[in-house]
Amino acid sequence: MFCSFSISDYTCLTMDFHQLLKAAVHFTVGRLCQEVGQDCDKEFSKQVTAAIAETTFRQCDNFAKDLEAFARHAKRTTINSDDVKLIARRSSALSKYITKKCEDLISANQEQKERKKRKSDKKRSSEGEQAEARPGDDDAGEAE
Amino acid sequence: AVGQEAEHRMETVGKLFSFFFKDEKTKISGDAVILMTEMLKIFVEEAARRSVKQADAEDCDLVDIEHFEKILPQLLLDF
Repeated sequence: MFCSFSISDYTCLTMDFHQLLKAAVHFTVGRLCQEVGQDCDKEFSKQVTAAIAETTFRQCDNFAKDLEAFARHAKRTTINSDDVKLIARRSSALSKYITKKCEDLISANQEQKERKKRKSDKKRSSEGEQAEARPGDDDAGEAE
Repeated sequence: AVGQEAEHRMETVGKLFSFFFKDEKTKISGDAVILMTEMLKIFVEEAARRSVKQADAEDCDLVDIEHFEKILPQLLLDF
């Protein structure tokens, strides 16, 4: 092994994390393959599931780098749904689907916001002046 | 909690993406994570269904790596 002891714990941690993420992707790919297999009366070999998982993992890498570049081009540091729309541009059907999904999400978010506002308005009128600080979960990014 | 339909967990997808970002400052919004979760699901399903189709064309009951190898180039061009 060429790795000396100078390699920090951090490197080991990230390497573990890499394996962990890969395992998570593999697990979900396995389940999705099983579903498709049941649907079409076919069985997936272990190797093909592993190959699809590996491809998905690498494709994820590509997606992430592309998204990052798109966001930077728009002079942003947070990736939003417009960047995802650009990722899906290569196939027209996929692009249409993602655009529709995006619109659905936006309208759902708006509805939720309105409902929250109405609720807090009611609360304020009934309980008088109370702190309106609520856990803000509407559009905060979940990446750390 | 595991839903009935298999899907990547959003938390995992978020972590996965932040793991791949070159710049530490880059973040991803909640909506984008939801959409990317859907994208990944479509990618995997597409891979699986195209492999099944290839296996069907070759009259095999077991979908194997050779079937996936044949559909892989076009799959990557479509995403």
